[in-house]
Amino acid sequence: MRFFTPEWAEAARAAVDAGPEREGKLPTYWNWIDRARAGYTATWALGVRETGEYLLLTWKDGKCAEAEITSDPGAADYVLAAGETTWRELREGADPGRVVMYRQLRLERGDVLAFFRVIYFFVESLAALSRIRTT
Amino acid sequence: MTELTDVAESDLRGIRDLDIDDVLAYVHRDLKRLPGYTELYKRYLRQRWDVYELDFSQDVADWRERMTQEERDAFVGISAGFHHGERQVEVELPVFMLGGSEESKIYMSSQIEDEARHTVFFDRFYREVVGMPGDSVQDVLDASFEHVSETFVGPFGLLAYQADELRKDPEDPAARVRYGTTYFLWIEGVLALSVMKITLTYCRERGFLPGYYTGFTATCRDEARHVQFGMRFLRDSVQEDPRLLLQIHETLRTILAINGAASRRLALESLGWTPEEVRRLMIRQLHMKLTDVGIAIPPDIREMVSRIEPELAGG
Ligand SMILES: [Fe+2]
Ligand SMILES: [Fe+2]
Repeated sequence: MRFFTPEWAEAARAAVDAGPEREGKLPTYWNWIDRARAGYTATWALGVRETGEYLLLTWKDGKCAEAEITSDPGAADYVLAAGETTWRELREGADPGRVVMYRQLRLERGDVLAFFRVIYFFVESLAALSRIRTT
Repeated sequence: MTELTDVAESDLRGIRDLDIDDVLAYVHRDLKRLPGYTELYKRYLRQRWDVYELDFSQDVADWRERMTQEERDAFVGISAGFHHGERQVEVELPVFMLGGSEESKIYMSSQIEDEARHTVFFDRFYREVVGMPGDSVQDVLDASFEHVSETFVGPFGLLAYQADELRKDPEDPAARVRYGTTYFLWIEGVLALSVMKITLTYCRERGFLPGYYTGFTATCRDEARHVQFGMRFLRDSVQEDPRLLLQIHETLRTILAINGAASRRLALESLGWTPEEVRRLMIRQLHMKLTDVGIAIPPDIREMVSRIEPELAGG
């Protein structure tokens, strides 16, 4: 499957909706994520800086309901973008928490405090979609 | 108990003999008065120390021969947070210096230098004592990242994004106050001082790691200036425009909301700390800043503070 194609977008939606494998981390951590996700309604636009394309993920009531690839992040609540190198490193297993801490994925638009209130839910979603096999 | 003037005036050799509790008392002594930025800058010029003067040879022997594996794991698990934390507060600070008064900018230049020196301190400790590999500062940071827990990743990431927000308009008072709440009140005032208290009490009680003890106690004395600057900045900001208090509250709500997440357990019992003691320590650190500086918090935040989970200890 090719990265940033409609097929990949649908796989990404399914992956973040299922969440990552819950192994190796404390149950209380996943409880935190479940609480952050409960009722979560927002749209994330995750972009590749070089191409200007975004993966638009729409969360409705804690479910990832829609995904599409677009060059117009439009009304997304949180618009983020990273360079191709960062996206490649993520697919090769880079720690998504480290990617956030080093601000390799920049918040181009959106409220910083509201975005961070669910930060580990976001980090684990990033982990889940990074693990999709791509060619 | 050492006189607090000893804390203020010791050179690096003298710092080795100070009690960490006296240095923490020194951090808080001036919180009610809150010295001005120029006074803090003058103090910096007197208190600056040379990180390359530290001698880690006894630390190497203690680390290899006297500490248990459990103690080493717990020590790395908690100190890795500030190996990365010192770097984070160093690199995210220049954008804050772009705003504020000229006195504030002059003072800020000293804090940026302090944080760079603290980064070198941890680089030396992790390289020379813990034995983490790497040719560059980044290599050693990369080697220790796996030990950094969510307690630190979340707030440091938040600071990074707030710095990016501030870059768009370094004079925006609301963005400065939100940034200052994360940086000076939480990362320095609560996280750093808690890590200092935990690791330095262990070193002092066991008589281990004199190089780490000296360097991180000197770091704690620098932190007195940073926290006093930060609390002065927050207090003056709110006095000038009382609506800014809401920005402190919103920031604290986010910080406290993410504070409970911990993906793995870090047993600090081997360093002499129970989860409940860590919890009380963090709450106390936060309360001391809020009450001394006169930052009122609404009931929902008070409730969140009382629920602080000792996730530093993985509980
Ligand atoms: Fe520092
Ligand atoms: Fe500091």
